[in-house]
Amino acid sequence: MIKAENISKYYRLGVLGSMTLKEDIKNWWNRKSFIENDPANFINNNSKDYIWALKNINFEVSHGEVLGFIGRNGAGKSTLLKIISRITLPTSGRILGKGRSASLLEVGTGFHGELTGRENIFLNGHILGMKRKEIEKKFDEIVDFSGVEQFLDTPVKRYSSGMYVRLAFAVAAHLDPEILIVDEVLAVGDAEFQRKCIGKMKEVSSQKGKTILFVSHNMQALRNLCHRAIVLNKGEIINMGDPETVIAGYLKSETTQYLQQEFSDKASAPGNEFIRIKKIELVPQYINDYDIIDIRTPLTMNFEFWYDMEEEDDLIVGVHLFDFNGDCIFDIASPNAKFKKGLIGGQCKIPGNFLNDGAYYMSIVFVKNITQRMYYFESCLSFDVEDYRENAGWYGKWLGYVRPDFPVVLRPKEI
Amino acid sequence: MDKNTEWEWEIKPEERWFSLNLRELLQYKDLLFRFVRRDILTSYQQTILGPVWVFLQPLLTTLVYFIIFTKIANISTDGIPPILFYLPGSIFWTYFSECLNGTMNTFINNAYIFRKVYFPRVIAPLSNILFHSFRLSIQLILFVIIYLFFMIARHNVIPSWWILILPVLILLTAAFALGAGLIISVFTARYRDLDNILQFVLRLFMFAAPVVYPVSIVPEKYKFLFWLNPLTSVIETCRAAFFSQHTVNIKYLSLAVLNVFIILLIGLVLFRKREIEIMDVV
Repeated sequence: MIKAENISKYYRLGVLGSMTLKEDIKNWWNRKSFIENDPANFINNNSKDYIWALKNINFEVSHGEVLGFIGRNGAGKSTLLKIISRITLPTSGRILGKGRSASLLEVGTGFHGELTGRENIFLNGHILGMKRKEIEKKFDEIVDFSGVEQFLDTPVKRYSSGMYVRLAFAVAAHLDPEILIVDEVLAVGDAEFQRKCIGKMKEVSSQKGKTILFVSHNMQALRNLCHRAIVLNKGEIINMGDPETVIAGYLKSETTQYLQQEFSDKASAPGNEFIRIKKIELVPQYINDYDIIDIRTPLTMNFEFWYDMEEEDDLIVGVHLFDFNGDCIFDIASPNAKFKKGLIGGQCKIPGNFLNDGAYYMSIVFVKNITQRMYYFESCLSFDVEDYRENAGWYGKWLGYVRPDFPVVLRPKEI
Repeated sequence: MDKNTEWEWEIKPEERWFSLNLRELLQYKDLLFRFVRRDILTSYQQTILGPVWVFLQPLLTTLVYFIIFTKIANISTDGIPPILFYLPGSIFWTYFSECLNGTMNTFINNAYIFRKVYFPRVIAPLSNILFHSFRLSIQLILFVIIYLFFMIARHNVIPSWWILILPVLILLTAAFALGAGLIISVFTARYRDLDNILQFVLRLFMFAAPVVYPVSIVPEKYKFLFWLNPLTSVIETCRAAFFSQHTVNIKYLSLAVLNVFIILLIGLVLFRKREIEIMDVV
């Protein structure tokens, strides 16, 4: 059970260690007067030197609740967890709590490369707050979970990075506090191991009376594990509530989608003497209630352009889809045809259950007589495809450019 | 939520003064000993002579002192065989300086852990002290062996009952190094230049303690200043315990105890007050 009241935290900007004694004394004086006087005044005076990592954070977590924190990098999630973990102090406000808490801001904290796996299990376990008897009792379980049994008496510096992380997580997974604070540790390890970790998280969270606070960028995991979610932006809580709604709202605000471009004035529209773009848009046929493009959503691309070429010329319009690394996913084109000058419309349908989750952008190309590129409108649209899974037991990223929905079927074979 | 909820802990912008919280410290005793174990297991990794260095280091130092201060500078050893005169001084001095060095860099050396997990920070310097105490005890055994050899062989080396006070002397040295180290640690974390100055001061400080010379050669008017240093009492009492030609100065020994107590108290309180906050600047 935790209650945060008006938590704020400022950090000094600039290079640490470049401070002089004089500055420090000045700061100390400022701080004294800041506490006595108005905090708002202080911010103005020092806005250049300080950044508010957190501003007036208030929330409560009740016994047995799983609370997730969402926000982009630098939103203050980690700072907040650090304050709750007593690693850094708030500048103002207070947190009240009940129950033994343990933090997992990193796996394998304090691991020593020269020591064996066995030694490190104890070392790391104690650092995380476990007692010797507790570790001894769970030792076999930890080793079993990690799967590095053969290498238990090998120094961990000889481990592969995968083994290292597995051992580290195995210790962490057997922590048994009343309040668990977890920061993005699920992002490590291979997919198979991630599945194991999330499974363990779920097992832990479903136990009665476990309070968990956690930060993750994995929306699927958040959706499935949390009872409630909080969105942080620039150090402030901007949304709080039911995870499904909160996450949807967050994704919508975060995506840099560029779904439509329209130009009413032909002269200034993108293009050249032959082609002028009038309108280009991507229309999703939303399946969920939150107006988010997920992997199931069919997309329709509509475009209109002014055509100004000779009538005997052949025209082909091609559509290119790229993922955000610039790899081309597909390159499709219309059959060649002849058109009169004037306004021409076109359409291209991308079915649902086709693209994998990720960020994409599209380009459109106009070709004359099969070979001559007349105009290339590059990155004219961009959109994000969110993941969607039903009854997911695994939250890792699916590989591949596409996520088709055709089945893999198993059946027993008579011998 | 229930209005009557009884909160068990509270996080506030300021750490309270005088809240050493011994109960919490006790809960982390497993961690303390695990740190000591880690340091022992890893301290001689990838060295050829390994643990032999524990013996070799004070012996080599003693040899250097013997050559420079006895042979070249011709400084008195108060009639004590030079090796027996220098060895305890050197052992205690090394113990002190290593404890101090480890403690004053607590935040810098442990930043990678302190940034990720909470535990009472004082565990780290305490484990450092215990680790060096382990080495000290081995070195003292070496000293006793050499001492017994001299006692049996010839020489008028006669122990007094004061040797029973040896554990107190160790405790006193440790507490002095811990206290001073804790005070300094709060500043070195922020002002890294301090380390350079401190290494220099520490080297000078060795000559302010009777490591390489007996107190008897110190001019009378500086004697009181000299005795203010708790290490003077520690080393002189140790010599008095093993060589009956010296006498233990109880007045100065009590002064040392008082000084160390004050330094340790300031250190603990200051450290406790700043232990979390300081991590924002390390």
